[in-house]
Amino acid sequence: MLYDIKFALDYAFEAPAAGARQILRAMPLSIPGRQRLISGAVSVSPHPSNCIDRSDFFGNAVTEMAFSEACRNILISLDARVEVTAGAEPMASVATLPELREAIGTLRDLGSRSPMHFLAASRYTPDDPGIRNWAAAGRSGGRRKVSEIVSDLGQAINNEMRFDAGATTVETPAAEAFEARHGVCQDFTHIMIIGLRGLGIPSGYVSGYLRTLPPPGRPRLEGADAMHAWVCAWCGPDTGWIEYDPTNATFAGTDHIVVGYGRDYADIAPIRGAIRTAGGHASNQSVDVIPVEP
Amino acid sequence: MTDTPDRPSILNAYSLLPGVPDELLGADGAINPAWMGLVDHLEGLAPEERERCFSRGAQYLRDAGVFVRNYGEEASPRDWPLSPVPVIQPQSEWRMLERGLAERANLLEAVVADLYGENRLVGEGHLPASLVAGNPEWLRPLVGVKPASGYFLHFLAFEIGRGPDGGWWVLGDRTQAPSGAGYALENRVASMRSFSGYYNQANVERLAGFFRAFRDELNAARREAGSRAGILTPGPLNDTYFEHAYIARYLGMMLLEGDDLIVENGRLMVRTVSGTEPISVLWRRLDSVWADPLELDAASRLGTPGLLGAVRSGTVNMINALGAGVLESRAMLAFLPKLSEVLTGRPLAIPNIATWWCGGEAERAHVLGNADRMFIGPANSTHLPLEPEPGSVLKGDMSQHGGDLETWLSSEGRDLVGQEVVSLSTTPAWENGALTPRPMSIRVFLARTRDGWRLMPGGFARLAAGNQDSSAVSIRRGGSVADVWVVSDAPVPEDTMLTRPGESFVRAASGLLPSRAADNLFWLGRYVERAEGLMRLYRAYMSRLPDSPPGGTPLTTSLEEYLAARGVGTNEGIPDAVEKTIAMAVNAANQVRDRFSVDAWASLNDLEKTLGKMRKTVVPGEDAAAAMGILLRKITGFSGLVHENMYRSSGWRFLTIGRSIERAIAMAELLAAFAEWSGSQGGFELCVEVGDSVMTHRRRYSVTASRNTVIDLLALDPLNPRSVAFHVDEISEQVGLLPGAVVDGQVSALSAAILQIRDRLADSAPEEVDHDALVELGRAIGFLTNDIHAQYLG
Repeated sequence: MLYDIKFALDYAFEAPAAGARQILRAMPLSIPGRQRLISGAVSVSPHPSNCIDRSDFFGNAVTEMAFSEACRNILISLDARVEVTAGAEPMASVATLPELREAIGTLRDLGSRSPMHFLAASRYTPDDPGIRNWAAAGRSGGRRKVSEIVSDLGQAINNEMRFDAGATTVETPAAEAFEARHGVCQDFTHIMIIGLRGLGIPSGYVSGYLRTLPPPGRPRLEGADAMHAWVCAWCGPDTGWIEYDPTNATFAGTDHIVVGYGRDYADIAPIRGAIRTAGGHASNQSVDVIPVEP
Repeated sequence: MTDTPDRPSILNAYSLLPGVPDELLGADGAINPAWMGLVDHLEGLAPEERERCFSRGAQYLRDAGVFVRNYGEEASPRDWPLSPVPVIQPQSEWRMLERGLAERANLLEAVVADLYGENRLVGEGHLPASLVAGNPEWLRPLVGVKPASGYFLHFLAFEIGRGPDGGWWVLGDRTQAPSGAGYALENRVASMRSFSGYYNQANVERLAGFFRAFRDELNAARREAGSRAGILTPGPLNDTYFEHAYIARYLGMMLLEGDDLIVENGRLMVRTVSGTEPISVLWRRLDSVWADPLELDAASRLGTPGLLGAVRSGTVNMINALGAGVLESRAMLAFLPKLSEVLTGRPLAIPNIATWWCGGEAERAHVLGNADRMFIGPANSTHLPLEPEPGSVLKGDMSQHGGDLETWLSSEGRDLVGQEVVSLSTTPAWENGALTPRPMSIRVFLARTRDGWRLMPGGFARLAAGNQDSSAVSIRRGGSVADVWVVSDAPVPEDTMLTRPGESFVRAASGLLPSRAADNLFWLGRYVERAEGLMRLYRAYMSRLPDSPPGGTPLTTSLEEYLAARGVGTNEGIPDAVEKTIAMAVNAANQVRDRFSVDAWASLNDLEKTLGKMRKTVVPGEDAAAAMGILLRKITGFSGLVHENMYRSSGWRFLTIGRSIERAIAMAELLAAFAEWSGSQGGFELCVEVGDSVMTHRRRYSVTASRNTVIDLLALDPLNPRSVAFHVDEISEQVGLLPGAVVDGQVSALSAAILQIRDRLADSAPEEVDHDALVELGRAIGFLTNDIHAQYLG
């Protein structure tokens, strides 16, 4: 599939703010055998006094910008064309939980894609006994394939939770969203990560885009009008990483376009910013993912 | 302990603990040579003389404001628990420690460089990947970033103790932002006071040379000519802020908070009253995760957005490098012996406390089998070894934790370490008029200098509260602290930070004044003056009450309204508003503590303390008037110290401008309210009294007070230090001396505004200065604050 992606983010400050500084993580990745970034550009208004493109520890594309002049608004827009050739469904997975644990015990890798980064609790995915015990119930048996546990847990979260765009904010703890059984893709994803890590399965946060309008005859996916999030999980050395979207109860397919990976939202938030200003600020984002007819 | 016939009487009750060595007495009961002089000195003093000496040290600490504070605790600070008797170590012992710890420092440097570089130690299986990946201080944004200086580590602390075999053990490595060196300095000053007369002949190695060498190292680490070095602090809410301010003052370096810094075009700059200025070395006392909200903990209010970008571009040196805290993890102690073999081919020169990572099967079995002499706790904790914390278990006691030890170890082993509960040597503490042995550990400090690693010839000793348990655990629970003397066989040269042999005198360029510091000094000036003004008004009111008829006079009624408009009720002994204003002054002063003399600080604190005491006893009426008199003398004591002793830096100018603005406004308002009253109603006298100008008025004007004489003296006379005109002149003069007063021949908006006020005052005759003119004058002076803020403090 070929997609044209438009992402726009509008920051409005109550009072003119000098010294604003933003870090953007919204450019889709090129992943061999999966998706290819054909072209991509970020434009910013006003023109930043300093702008650096680099990649972060996890290999995600980062644009760092600073504004020395005081401004009331910052408008960031991103255009990209991406070809998606495959999803991230599991290959025939063979590893069981005990086998996975053993494989993890022998890993000596701290590279950006090493499963080791995705085992410990992190900022938005602290260990939570409520989620951990709920996720482990009936799933910690020794004979089940890890990839089955992943899809089973994702399906269960989807069944249990109500998608509600107004119920939670970025800062709502996952445990609270789980307690109330509602939230958005970020909550679904964090809850699933906590559950998987509780089982000893390395898992992380995938940030990305979803095709805005479904192919004819198929329902529109939840979360298509903003940046989306789903889960990646490591299923052993043979299978490697798979990706599951608990919000839509599906493995990530060719409707999913990956922006980047992290331990949780903190690592791969689309925008992180800091300003020195007395007043508050508001931001608004819009996303369009349009299939390009061949 | 054997009985020695000529044993000094102060050792009568000194009975050693079984199984551990003592610093003062050898195994044979003989006094160790290094202690001989001190024991003789103490023995030679009469008991009351000894107590007098020791109280000198304690008094110094109280005067200097050294207290124990705990972050987030509302309770008032406790007295600093200094045990007056120092721990004495022979120079030879210290040289040996220096060699061993320097080796350890080099090993730590190699490990941290690998963890942020090639990751060979994990790749080759010498360190478990999960331990590094799960270490909250292994900061991924810094992986692959090489420190500009070439080194991650520059200033380290080690917690050490002497084990049963007489050798030293490292209990923990402090690599993040070690505290304690400043406290060691303060303890030294206190012990010098306690042992004055003896200290100078005791061949005690001085501390100044160590700090000077490290300061040179910091200055040498600057990345470009003209850039500065500074100390980065989390600010006054931190429990060791006192130390940060003390060290900054001692080394003559800027004390900065994250908000003082800004990154411009990849360079780190300080926001000062003269614009932004480059800075390229930060000795940080702030933990890494708070350093940059953009790339590290987003919740941080203490950091500087973009700091990591500046570090990445190589324009700034962090001392120690951000992320160096990864080495403080307890589990690291389990692997260092092996890593030493791998990286240096040698065993550790000084062993660390025996530690087992419970992720390994054999290690887990060992910990389980010896649980009764183990401390078991989180593997990646950065707490010091044996420091109790949630989730830790001491000597196999699972009652707090719940569950079964074996199950816990096997299910969570990868996240746990076991550490042997070591017994440590004892050192004498002074208790109830005699020496008594207490288990101790010492924090020592190692600095990278031009001549290699250098160990501070001293340290910060902690003594256990009791002697029942000689394990390091009881020491961590805390008893007292003590100075550490490293004594030489030969006399040592005098040394202070002020003198440097063989160096010619150079007057340092005046330091930069960060905008935040200027802001606090400005408001300190205003608050102190405001408090003084309120005291004068309240005294004037209270002293008029006894002579007033029931229901008051028109003047007392007006005064009540005037006071009420300033937040002062008249049914209070000590007005709440006065106390609050002083509290705001103390708070402002606290933010710039590094810029005050100990005396000025003590006087402000004394004022606050007196207020607190008076509040409980003073009642409205003459009692309150008298209390205001006492407080006024105290507050002028602080002002006097500031104005007599403070260097005429930009900082002093902001304080003075703040004071003058406040005083000028208050006088304009007072005159507007009371100068129009006719003579018999007492308005003139009130103005002259509150303006502290009774004598002057009598001398200058042969007539009785009239409206015009009062206005002339208190508004227009440029020679009366209580007049509006005097303070407008003062503001004008000080603003003229600030940076940026004139740019390209143009005066600043601030200067222009002051000149306008000044001209108007100079051209006015007393009769023209009526109520409306005075109101307008007060308002115009008040607006200067906005101009000052816009030009210097924003």
